[in-house]
Amino acid sequence: VSKILGLALGILAAIGGFVDIGDLVFNVSAGATFGYELMWVVVIGVVGIIVYSEMCGRVAAVSGKAVFDAIRERVGFKAALGALVASEVVNLMTLAAEIGGVAISLQLLSGLPYRWLIVLAIVGLAVIVWVTSFEWLERIFGYGGLCLLVFAVAAVKLTPDWGKVGNGFLPHLAQNNKLLYAYFAVGLLGAALTPYEVYFYSSGGIENRWSPKDIRLNRANAIIGYGLGGFLSFALMITGGALFLGHGISPEHLGTIALGAENPLGRIGLLFALVGILFAVGGASIDTVFSGAYNLAQFCGWEWGRYRHPRGAPRFALTWLVLLALALAIVMTGVDPVMLTEYAVIFSVVALPLTYIPILLVANDKTYMRHYGNGRFANILGLFYLLVIMIVALAAVPLMLLTNVGQN
Amino acid sequence: MKRVVLVVVALALAGCNGGTVDRHALTRDASTLDSIACEGALLAHDVARGRTTAYFAREQAEELRIQSSNLADALSRRKTVPGIEQKVRKKAKDAARLASTLQRLHDHPTEQAVGTTVEQELKKAGGCP
Repeated sequence: VSKILGLALGILAAIGGFVDIGDLVFNVSAGATFGYELMWVVVIGVVGIIVYSEMCGRVAAVSGKAVFDAIRERVGFKAALGALVASEVVNLMTLAAEIGGVAISLQLLSGLPYRWLIVLAIVGLAVIVWVTSFEWLERIFGYGGLCLLVFAVAAVKLTPDWGKVGNGFLPHLAQNNKLLYAYFAVGLLGAALTPYEVYFYSSGGIENRWSPKDIRLNRANAIIGYGLGGFLSFALMITGGALFLGHGISPEHLGTIALGAENPLGRIGLLFALVGILFAVGGASIDTVFSGAYNLAQFCGWEWGRYRHPRGAPRFALTWLVLLALALAIVMTGVDPVMLTEYAVIFSVVALPLTYIPILLVANDKTYMRHYGNGRFANILGLFYLLVIMIVALAAVPLMLLTNVGQN
Repeated sequence: MKRVVLVVVALALAGCNGGTVDRHALTRDASTLDSIACEGALLAHDVARGRTTAYFAREQAEELRIQSSNLADALSRRKTVPGIEQKVRKKAKDAARLASTLQRLHDHPTEQAVGTTVEQELKKAGGCP
């Protein structure tokens, strides 16, 4: 019974924790621009994150090593340093965007000044991380993020053309505006495959003290949790397509996304949407700040982990505090969190190979994995996704420049 | 490596127009203004029916107002390519009018009558369905 309960709790947390500010922005904007035509890209992205999360969760359960531990050991100092720098830059950009998102959600709920709310968000997150156990951090933000299911209700209430929605799942190219279509496809893949998710997932496996006995739990968590998280992405894209495309609206603010639930469902829909966004981006802030601290600590061989008291892993605790302070400095410059999100997602796409290649290598390394290494199916999927990742990593920056960050 | 840098710089230059408004930029800014107006109309629709909260309506109207006000400012000051200056300046005035309509929604986020008139004005301004 306790295993089933643990699985259910893990899945619930994964559903609520899958959607972050990048998913919110790219899914709704893609829907508002191309209707349901890009649903198939979300499927590819969700399967990709399932494949690699399962792999790195298995590595953590069998070898007791998180992703960056393994990267450091397997690919050598120079390549690992490159991966570390790239991941830390992208993590910091994402963290700043998520914290900006927390402050905007609070502002839309309370009407208080934005800059005060940025400070409140940072202090609040620091206190929550300091006093709450890892398990409860996952649960609180995961369950709160479930309020985003209001977008599934909104999507149904908006009565989309379900035939067109179904067609959107079939891979196809755009009839016109091909560059913008490709830009959104890259953005959706980047938002789904964001590197911090696998860093956090594998380190979380260590925090939860997974062992080879938990390999099935890991697989179920990854497949069902991220799969249902993808369901939220579909709901967001359908809402964008059914409401904003028809009205000629291109969403450029986080509040516009909440408007997508308010219009069909009224005040209660709005409140659920704002609370859901608050918890989703708040949870993602914690995931990113921990990912940054995990990566540095694992690279340097420091003591790390939230299950230890900060005094037991002082450099780890100091790292996440410094990352929060740096994110505060970035958001206080007045940078637009939505724009920052777009840059963070696109640059994370460029850094994807540095994260995913070592995971595939380690998952095939018998010295780490013994007889729990990748099977043929996992390797075929892994190689397919590596190819996809290499293509989108090469295309990301040119597409961003050519489409003026998706503006035309 | 040099070639890669040159390609990136060329792409970056292709992505910006040096601050001069050309036909393409004018079309893009015009569609942004229509998008702002239609979003404002959707928000005003919910204000008119009491289906939103005062804080949300006020803050979201303010975001849209700032965006259209910035566009008005940019379109009234920036250089234009020959032949489209009048159109650009007219768009600047439209953007300023849009900002002032959104200001009314920001100032009266709970008044349903204001919501109704603002919705009609914004729908007309943005050519919204």
